[in-house]
Amino acid sequence: MNAPARTGEPFLTVDKLRVTYVLDRGRTIQAVSDLSFALNQGETLGLVGESGCGKSSAARAIMQLPRPSDGQVTLGNTDLTSLRGRALQQARRRFQIVFQDPIAALNPRHTIRQILAAPLEIAGIRETCADRDARLISMLERVGLNGAQTLERKPHEFSGGQCQRISIARALILNPELLVCDEAVSALDVSVQAQILNLLQDIRCEFGLTMLFISHDLAVVRHVSDRVVVMYLGTMCELADADAIYDRPAHPYTRALISAVPRPDPDLEPNPVQMVPGELPSPMNPPTGCRFRTRCPKATERCAAEVPTMRPVRQGQMVACHHPLVGA
Amino acid sequence: MHDRPPVLEVLDLRTAFPTARGMLQAVDGVSFRLEQGRTLAIVGESGSGKSVLSRSILGLLPRNAETGPEGRVVLNGNDLTRLPERSMRKLRGRQAAIVFQDPMTSLNPTMTIGSQIVEVLIFHMGMTKATARCRAIELLATVGMPQPATRVDQYPHQLSGGMRQRVAIAIAIACEPSLLIADEPTTALDVTVQAEILDLLQRQVRERQMSMILITHDMGIVAARADEVAVMYAGRIVERAPVRDLFHQTRMPYTSALLASIPQIDGGRRGRLEAIGGRPPDLVDPPSGCSFRPRCRFASDKCDMTAPPLAGTGQHHFACWHPL
Repeated sequence: MNAPARTGEPFLTVDKLRVTYVLDRGRTIQAVSDLSFALNQGETLGLVGESGCGKSSAARAIMQLPRPSDGQVTLGNTDLTSLRGRALQQARRRFQIVFQDPIAALNPRHTIRQILAAPLEIAGIRETCADRDARLISMLERVGLNGAQTLERKPHEFSGGQCQRISIARALILNPELLVCDEAVSALDVSVQAQILNLLQDIRCEFGLTMLFISHDLAVVRHVSDRVVVMYLGTMCELADADAIYDRPAHPYTRALISAVPRPDPDLEPNPVQMVPGELPSPMNPPTGCRFRTRCPKATERCAAEVPTMRPVRQGQMVACHHPLVGA
Repeated sequence: MHDRPPVLEVLDLRTAFPTARGMLQAVDGVSFRLEQGRTLAIVGESGSGKSVLSRSILGLLPRNAETGPEGRVVLNGNDLTRLPERSMRKLRGRQAAIVFQDPMTSLNPTMTIGSQIVEVLIFHMGMTKATARCRAIELLATVGMPQPATRVDQYPHQLSGGMRQRVAIAIAIACEPSLLIADEPTTALDVTVQAEILDLLQRQVRERQMSMILITHDMGIVAARADEVAVMYAGRIVERAPVRDLFHQTRMPYTSALLASIPQIDGGRRGRLEAIGGRPPDLVDPPSGCSFRPRCRFASDKCDMTAPPLAGTGQHHFACWHPL
C-alpha cells in the first residue's frame, strides 16, 4: 500500500486510556487499562486481540462514544476528551467510524439519501438540494456504487457488502482526517471482504486518512496496517511495526495468537497451541501482575508480583513482558 | 479406487425453499461419497448451500423445505431418504451426529450439561441413569473439560464458548457415530480456542475411525484439517479434490479466485487483493448455464448455455468448461 507522506508529529495521541464499566452493586469491569499509543498522519494502526480484550471499547472511547473513564485522546492539537456539547459535535466531522454489522449500522426506515445527508445536516452545512444530491452521488460513486440509482432506496435493498460501502460513504462525507474501522470487514465473505479492503486502501490514499483498524482477523490486520497493537484482557501486550509483530513477535501472547491462525497451505502442519491450556480469566477479577501469566508458558513468580510495563526491545518494537522472546 | 463401501453416499441431493419471489434452490444436485476415517471439508461463502446440505443429509430441514425426489442419502447402506421420522430420530445421534456453530443455541439452557449427555446415552444406548452419568463424566474428560465431575452439574451459561463447544462435541461422540458433521464448529470462537477445538475434533475422528464432514468458510481450516475438499458455489459442488490437489492444482476459476482473495498472514504486505467482482447469484432466479459465469473472466458463450457437469479424472473433479 502506498502510504501518503508522513509528517513527524503524532496526529492522534491516546494517553493512558481507561474504560471502566459499572455493573450492579458497585462492581466494575475495567475493559481498557492504560492504553497509550501515537499515530502519525496517514498511518494505519491495527488493533488486534480476542473477544473481550477491550479493542472495541478502546475504539468507542477514542470516538468519544462515550468518552473514556480516564485518559486523553488528542487529535491534532485538540484534546477530544475535554470537549463538550456543541464543540464536540463540531469536532466529530474530523473523526468517523465504520462498524462491523453494515446492516445494523444503517437506519432501515431511512433512504440512502437521508442516511448520507444526516452528517451534513448535523454539521450545519447549508446547500441546495441539487448541490447536496450531487455531493451524495459523487461520494457513492467514489465507494463503487451507482449513485443516482442508490439515493431513493433503503438499506434492505442492498447486500452486506453494498451496505458497508454506504457506511463508508457516510463516514467520508464530511471529509474526516481519522477513520476508525471497528471489525469493518469481519461480517463479510472473503470475496466481498477483498473488495472492501481494496476500497479502504484507495480512499486512505485519496483522502489522506489516518486509520485505526480494529479486527480479530490477524491476516486482515497484517494486510492493512503499518503498525500493530496487540491487546489481552484490557491491556496492551505489544506495539510494533507490522512485520516485526508477525515475523518476530516479542510477547508470548502475540506468538500464540499468530501461530494459532490456520494457514491456507496444505503442506504446513497446524502449529501446536503455544498457550497453557485453560480459560480466559474474568475481566472482573484479572490476574495480579501480568494479566497473561495464567496462560503463559514462560510465566515466573515475578510475573505474578509485578505488572510489566511497555518497554522497547528492538527498534520500533515495544513489549510489556518480563520475559520477552528476543534473540530467539 | 473404492475398496470399501463408503460410510456415506449422497446422490443428486436437491433442497429448495419457497419464498415470496419463488422457489429458492439452496442445494442443486449434490453428489459425493465419503469413506471411513476420512474428513471431507465443504467450503463455500454464505448462501452457497453448505449448511442446508448438512441439514438435508440428516433430515433436519424445516417443514417448508422441498427435497428433490431423485435425491439419495445412503449412510452405512441405509437409504435415509426412505426412512420415516421415527427411525431418523433413532439414527441421529447414534449413527450420525452434528456439531453446530453456536453452542449456546444448540445446548438446552435449562438443563445441566450432564443431563444433556445422559439423555442421549439413555435414549440411544439404553444405559441406566447411574451408568450414563459415569459415562458422561468420562466423555467430558475426553473432550478436555477441566474438573469434569464438578462441571457435569453446571448449566451452559456457566461455561465459556469454547467449553460449551466441547460439551456439544461430547454429546456428538457419545454414541460413537460413524459420521460426524461439524458445521462451522469454530466460527464463533477466538482463534486460540479454535485451534484447541479443531485439535480435539481431529483427534476424536482419528481415534474412533469416524468420518467427518467439516463445513467451513475458512480455507486455512480446510488446508490444515481435511483430507478432501468440496467447494460449493450457488448450491452446487464446483470442485472436489484431495486437499493438496485443490490448493496446488486448482482447476475451477472460482476456487482460484477465492484463494487469491484471502489476505496472507505470512510474508510481507502485498498490494491489492484480487477481489472477485460482482456477488453470488440470486438463487431464486439463477443465471443460465454455469452459475459462476457472470463473475468469471474466462466465461464464454458455452458457459452461458449449458451448466458444466462435475467431471474429471481420478479424484479431482471440477465443473467448468474452461478449467485452469
